[in-house]
Amino acid sequence: MLDFLNPANLFVFLNKLSKLIKIIIIPLLIVSLIFALVTSPEDYIQGDSVRIMYVHVPASWIALACFSFIGFFTILNFLFKFKNALLIYKSLAPIGFTFCLISIVTGSVWGQPTWGTFWAWDARLTSMLVLLFFYVLFIFSYKFIKDQNTSSKISSLISVLGLINLFIIKYSVELWSTLHQPSSVKVFGETSVHKSMLLPLSSMLLVFLVYCALIFLMKYRTEIIRMKKKGLKRL
Amino acid sequence: MNLEFFTMSGYGIYVWSAFIFTFFACLVLFFKTKKSLDRLEKDFKQEVEKLSKEQVETLNTGKISKEILTTQAKAK
Repeated sequence: MLDFLNPANLFVFLNKLSKLIKIIIIPLLIVSLIFALVTSPEDYIQGDSVRIMYVHVPASWIALACFSFIGFFTILNFLFKFKNALLIYKSLAPIGFTFCLISIVTGSVWGQPTWGTFWAWDARLTSMLVLLFFYVLFIFSYKFIKDQNTSSKISSLISVLGLINLFIIKYSVELWSTLHQPSSVKVFGETSVHKSMLLPLSSMLLVFLVYCALIFLMKYRTEIIRMKKKGLKRL
Repeated sequence: MNLEFFTMSGYGIYVWSAFIFTFFACLVLFFKTKKSLDRLEKDFKQEVEKLSKEQVETLNTGKISKEILTTQAKAK
C-alpha cells in the first residue's frame, strides 16, 4: 500500500487513470445529455428553461468545492510546507475558475426567462462574482509572483478571504432577500427536486466530475514535469 | 426531426446557449491544458537529449522521468 503511494508509482497510475477517463467520458456525456435534454420533464412553472439547471447547478457546486479544497491545501502548504499541496492547488484553480464562470454565465442566461433580467446585484449573484475575482487573484498570485515564500503567503491570504466568501455564498439566500431561490437539493434534509429531474442532475454532475478528474490529472502531470524540468539543471 | 426539440416552447435560445457555452468553456480548458502538457513533455525530452550519457542514466533510474520520456516516444 505504502509502495503504491510513492510519488513515482502514483505518477504512473495517474497516467493510466487519465487514459481510462478519456475512454468513458464521451459515452457518459451522451447518456447524460439525453437525460437532460430529451427524457427529463419540463417544469410546470419554468417550462423547458429548467433544463439550464443541469449545467448551472453542478457547475456551481464544483466551483464552490474547488475553492474549499484550494483553501484547505493552501493552508496546509503554508503551515507545513507540504510540497504536494502546492501541485494540487495549482491544478485545481483553473478548473474552479472555469466552473465558476460557467455558473455565472448559465445562471445569467437562466435569469432572463425566469426573473426577466440577466443580472441583478443581489447577494447570491454578487458573492459568486466575488468568488470569480478570488479565483483570478489566486491564479495571478502563483503565476506572476516568482518568489515562492511571498507567493505562498499571498495565495494563503486570498484563499482564507475566499473561504469566508464561501460562507457568504452559502447563506446569502437565507440572510438577505434575494432573487435567487434557496437550495433545493440538500444533503441533510428533504430535497424538493423530483426524482425525474434528480437523475439527469446527478448524471450531469458525474460527467462534470469525471471531466474535472481528467483536467486535474493533466494539470498535475504538467506541474510534475515542470518540477522535474527544473531538476534537470541540477544534474 | 421534431422542431419542438430545438425551440423548447420558446426557451430554446436560453437552454442551447447555456449548454453550448458550458461545453465551449470545457473544451477550451481541455485543449489549453493539453497544449501546455504536450509542450512541456516535448521540452523535457529535448533537454534530456542535450544531457551526457551518465546524466541520462542517472535520470532513467527515476520512474517519473522514464514515464515522461516513454509517453513522448509513443506520441511520436
